[in-house]
Amino acid sequence: MFFENVKLALNSMRGSKMRTILSLLGIIIGVGSVVAILTLGESATKSITESLVSSGLETISITPMGGAKQFNEQFGNVLEQNVADIKSVLPVNSSGTRIRSGKEIQSTTLYGVPSNYADVLDYTCAQGSWFSAEDNIYKRQVVVLGASVAEDLFPNGDAVGSYVSIFRNQSKRYLVIGVMEEKDATLGSSFNDNVYIPYNTFTQRFRRVSTVGSYIVRIADGADATKVGDDITAFLDSYIGEDYYFLISAASLATMAESITGTFSTFLAAIAGISLLVGGIGIMNIMLVSVAERTKEIGIRKALGASPRVIKGQFLIEAITLTSMGGLIGILLGNGLGKIVTNIAGWTFHLSVSACVLSIGFSMLIGVFFGLYPAAKAAKLDPIDALNYE
Amino acid sequence: MPRNTNGKVNIPPDFPVIYIDDVHRYYVVGDFVVKALDGVSMSVGRGDFTAIMGPSGSGKSTLMNLIGCLDTPTSGKILIDGEDTSGLNETELSYIRNRKIGFVFQQFNLLAKMSALENVMTPLLYTGGIGVKERRERAEYALERVGLKDRMKHSPNELSGGQKQRVAIARAMVTQPSIILADEPTGALDTATGNQIMELFGELNGEGNTIVIVTHNEEIGCACPYQIRIRDGKREV
Repeated sequence: MFFENVKLALNSMRGSKMRTILSLLGIIIGVGSVVAILTLGESATKSITESLVSSGLETISITPMGGAKQFNEQFGNVLEQNVADIKSVLPVNSSGTRIRSGKEIQSTTLYGVPSNYADVLDYTCAQGSWFSAEDNIYKRQVVVLGASVAEDLFPNGDAVGSYVSIFRNQSKRYLVIGVMEEKDATLGSSFNDNVYIPYNTFTQRFRRVSTVGSYIVRIADGADATKVGDDITAFLDSYIGEDYYFLISAASLATMAESITGTFSTFLAAIAGISLLVGGIGIMNIMLVSVAERTKEIGIRKALGASPRVIKGQFLIEAITLTSMGGLIGILLGNGLGKIVTNIAGWTFHLSVSACVLSIGFSMLIGVFFGLYPAAKAAKLDPIDALNYE
Repeated sequence: MPRNTNGKVNIPPDFPVIYIDDVHRYYVVGDFVVKALDGVSMSVGRGDFTAIMGPSGSGKSTLMNLIGCLDTPTSGKILIDGEDTSGLNETELSYIRNRKIGFVFQQFNLLAKMSALENVMTPLLYTGGIGVKERRERAEYALERVGLKDRMKHSPNELSGGQKQRVAIARAMVTQPSIILADEPTGALDTATGNQIMELFGELNGEGNTIVIVTHNEEIGCACPYQIRIRDGKREV
């Protein structure tokens, strides 16, 4: 009986194709947008997470706020003693500045970093060398250029051995001793657009206070980044207080990205859900029309011995078949749209299976909910009146 | 009437297949009570070929609806194949319609979007528990019996009036009902075709089927061996 009813439903849809498509439009658009939104949300989250993981799950950045005295050059040692699985803590100062070579002037971020900075972050030199511990101790005026900066200032590739001027109130001449390899950004900082000088040189020339701009924590190889981040947070909350620092780890960023895209797509999906509801009302309307149009048919079927339950089943299955079909088309459309947008945005496309299953389930539910009243109406028709209906 | 251990009525073999005792059917229209049937008693024996005759408004259609279990009486008793239908609900009535009644209508009432074969298979679908293969075989047999073996795949609008009525008759007999109940079966056909349909009914009756034809047409009614005449909601004697 079930398959006969599905066949009947498909036959009746085939009989009025245009009407079927129009009445399904609400469901198709609703399901399509829900699927597209959820697919895009999932793809965006996965892409963000993937890029974060690839670019530095092993680093955690701590930025002091409100000038707590504990954030000095010894803070690194304190942290290493109190939290397990830390490989190294790098104090970092930075400042926006301009850099000049001949007639070329570039805006850049100047970093004052310890001599082991490049080593700890697996940042390698393309030409020349990174500065030594001695350069740092003697506060030498040497500079290492990020790949983009070097290319912009020295298009001919003759950076190493040249002098550049770095502006800060007054211009100072620095010897270029190295040019770095290209490296992907991590935790919001781009390596390629920066220039690096020894930490002590920076402190003497640019800062002249003992507090540190920020710390980069490199966790031990193979350690759980999330756990180390939680441990550091716990330690800092008791040691300094939670209002005096800002911690960013790849893990925390990923969680944040996930919750932002998650909230966003839930919100959008809810809006799209409303169009599903509207679509459902369209289905109810078309089913009521269908019942009215087929009063005679219902009368004949009743005369042939169809019980009210059977008639109800026939129209309910028709409604469910209708909405499921709309759901299927919507899923195809939604995924197609998701695929196009992810292609344009350069994300990897992730099929959201849960969204598809949910949409089909929801479409069927809409069929049941909005089909029930028309079906009950058909079942209740008086056989004699229905037979005499013209 | 004696009942057996299953609670089912034991029907003597000679008990009428339609037994109607003092049946009234009233309709309330606004403030008026219309007495469509006002105390009718009648019976139709198994294997009879009976015409229920009367002018329009006589109550014969009401009587047909009651016999066909499309309606229940206001008072009185109706036994169809021994089963009392007066107190049944819509589901129980549909069960009896499916198994004991085969309808033939003046306007054929075939399902337009289906082939002749599918039309004839439909009542068996509602019987339940009959596989598609058996449904098809029985429908093919019924269509063969009415002489439409070569028209089975055609849809109703590809058939002539006479052919449509043959499909309807095949559909009525496919469940092997106790009664074939025909409402003005020749009313939409020309005389020659109408006569052929009446001949078919005669043949089916000769094979043991109980046939009741409801008509206002004297000629058609008098072609049947038995006549029951209704006028003003009462039986004409």
